[in-house]
Amino acid sequence: MIVHQDKTTPMVALDVCYNVGSRDEHPDRTGFAHLFEHLMFGGSKHIPSYDEPLQKAGGDNNAFTSNDLTNYYLTLPKNNIETGFWLESDRMLELAFSKPSLEVQRNVVIEEFKQRYLNQPYGDVWPLLRQLAYKVHPYQWPTIGREISHIEQATMPQVKDFFFAHYAPDNAVLVVTGNVEFDQVLALAERWFSPILSRNVKPRNLPKEPEQTEIREQHVIREVPNDTIYLAYHMTDRLDPRYYATDLISDVLSNGNSSRMYQNLVQKEKLFTELDAYLSGDYEPGLFIVSGKPSNGISLETARKAIERELDRMKQEKVSEYELEKVKNKMEANIEYGEMNYLTKAMNLATNEILKDAGLINSQVDFYQSVTTEQIQEVSQYLFRPENCSILNYIAKK
Amino acid sequence: MLNRKIQPTVNPIEHIDRIQAEKRLLSNGIPVFFINAGSQDVVKIDFIFEAGTWFQSSNLIASLCNSMLEEGSRNFSAAEIAERFDFYGAYIQLMADQNYGFANVVSLGKHLPAILEVTEDMLKHSVFPEHELKVLIDKNKQKFLLENEKVRTLCQKKFTQVMFGEGHPYAITNKLEDFDQINREMLVQFYQEFYHSGNCRIIASGRIDESVLNLLESHFGGADWNRNILPVPDYFMSPAPQKYHRVEKLNGSQSAIRVGKMWVPKSHPDYISLSILVTILGGYFGSRLMANIREEKGYTYGIGSFVLSLKYASYLIISTEVGNGYVEPTQKEIGFEMKRLQTEPVSENELETLKSYLLGEFLRDFDGPFALAASFKAINDFDLDYSFYDRYLHTLRSITSEELMKLAQQYLNTEDCYTVVAGSVD
Repeated sequence: MIVHQDKTTPMVALDVCYNVGSRDEHPDRTGFAHLFEHLMFGGSKHIPSYDEPLQKAGGDNNAFTSNDLTNYYLTLPKNNIETGFWLESDRMLELAFSKPSLEVQRNVVIEEFKQRYLNQPYGDVWPLLRQLAYKVHPYQWPTIGREISHIEQATMPQVKDFFFAHYAPDNAVLVVTGNVEFDQVLALAERWFSPILSRNVKPRNLPKEPEQTEIREQHVIREVPNDTIYLAYHMTDRLDPRYYATDLISDVLSNGNSSRMYQNLVQKEKLFTELDAYLSGDYEPGLFIVSGKPSNGISLETARKAIERELDRMKQEKVSEYELEKVKNKMEANIEYGEMNYLTKAMNLATNEILKDAGLINSQVDFYQSVTTEQIQEVSQYLFRPENCSILNYIAKK
Repeated sequence: MLNRKIQPTVNPIEHIDRIQAEKRLLSNGIPVFFINAGSQDVVKIDFIFEAGTWFQSSNLIASLCNSMLEEGSRNFSAAEIAERFDFYGAYIQLMADQNYGFANVVSLGKHLPAILEVTEDMLKHSVFPEHELKVLIDKNKQKFLLENEKVRTLCQKKFTQVMFGEGHPYAITNKLEDFDQINREMLVQFYQEFYHSGNCRIIASGRIDESVLNLLESHFGGADWNRNILPVPDYFMSPAPQKYHRVEKLNGSQSAIRVGKMWVPKSHPDYISLSILVTILGGYFGSRLMANIREEKGYTYGIGSFVLSLKYASYLIISTEVGNGYVEPTQKEIGFEMKRLQTEPVSENELETLKSYLLGEFLRDFDGPFALAASFKAINDFDLDYSFYDRYLHTLRSITSEELMKLAQQYLNTEDCYTVVAGSVD
């Protein structure tokens, strides 16, 4: 349990983060962690409705699922904080597992699948890219699931098994932020969460993705307005010291209109109308992705060569001290902006604690500040190897 | 013994601390509304110009003119402007809507002098270089083509067209050809007519002290960017005679639905009570539409109703995306829920739940510098003052089921509503 006090707000945030994500799913039953995000609002053992009592106390809530974790958070006026403890502890204790709720939420998730992935232009990019880059590790499927049928066929016994295997006090972090006193939070946590017994959650034991040894390339044709190219490079895990340099590399390349790729390839050479470099954000070894929409008349081949030219420059020359200072400043400012809100703080503390240690938050700025131009070059050389790359050519149907 | 079946005591929200914006005039008359709040050294300065699509002579001018503000000025090239913002970790968000053109700046307080220096040049001396304009047009063309693939975009466009008529600025009528008809001169003219001190107001929030106000005065308070204020044009609505409209979009698995009608303006005596009614219908997770169409039937990932208040018109809109096979049942249920509000009083329990929820939301709307600024803007845009929120609180605490039912009978008639469906319904 982690408490952070912020007396400038009349509110409190309560965040319960479970160490379960889509990486923990069985390959034939994907989409469960996310389906659970829906089922968690369908009533718990002693409380038939989650939302109504929360709203009665002036509260609001939401949740998200990633490949790594599932995060549930709510905010309340400070004098109604106990309702949050009551609701969150009961659904950690046990869900209602009502049949109608499962049936309806299955349907809602199927519509979500359509709305976000099937009925959206470029909606299947992520699933395709993950499948191309990962052959063994469960990062190969997206949080919504590998296919709709996994959701359609989810049965109650499977749902119950998944709950008791992962939703447990020994697999969760509780964070409370905002206008609270530590002793008050401790007493409430003792009262509501202590009686829930540990479930001896098994340690995670996931297959390791073998090193990629040759370039992978896929072409798909879809009804979209423009061709798009995606390059995905395997990168380090989130705790590797090289992570910070990797993050700054993506900023040098594409964060803001002054970044290299924007200035050179979008503005000067007009080869692209959109061009981005970003990290997948995963805890285990993730992906460094470059995606670009070539300008009219520019082939995907030309587009790829232009991107590789910029990546090669990162490998061959050190970035200037000025460029590095710029991306560090930006990182520092962003961290400062994030500190403005008690709920953001709660989420950052919770997700870092699941990663390893909430205290990481305090050393982030130092980690970024200590990155050198040499490290940027070294990590670029490690990252941007052709045999480390998966290319997705997403071609517009003419 | 711990009884998990009983909710812990809920305490009413009695005191709501509301920091209000203060007003100061710059020497040239620009009103600066400022809110000093927050614990971080962060400042947000919103420059708001009467320069929305309402004032443009043809499509795209207002938004492209606004976007071009960061593409080069007298003393800074586009690259130098970008460099300055990025180096200091600051942001400028440029955006034009139906009535306003915005330049919203966020910066650490310590870097504000460097940021305002370049912002001043962008707002006062934009030069609209041809090369950057061409890049921007190509970029927006691609975005346009992408948006046009989405059923929700097609639906929303058609909905505004049937509500207002295609010649009205609140109807969205952008077409691909529009991009080929735009030229630099049109943007420069719009810029000169609408981006000047007589057409500007400023909302500043975050850590605002005298030094920030002095900076604003020295950069933006001069007479050097005074120009004539042009009269606001008049437009007439010509709503479509038919209430039901379809937009074909083949090969999709979902269809978008919009149902709605013209609504009362924010200054109308019924506005606040009606906003509570619209929340019951579809404005929060526990709303009637969500409970019925998502949580009971599972037809959709989400459905909501809200009121879009613009300066010269407001409308009610119910919007959702559903599986193609659920279009008709969804429409039927929307009608059913509207009818139910007209014929059955909302239960005590539901009304109390809603009131508590909205009070909590109210607390959030006044929590933190940026929320305070947004709440101020939401009244200032309509020339209302803080008494709007006093009335809101009073209405929220006192409104009854009977009053809500009467309002529903007056305002929520399904036969007054327009319906637009975009997708491939078989």
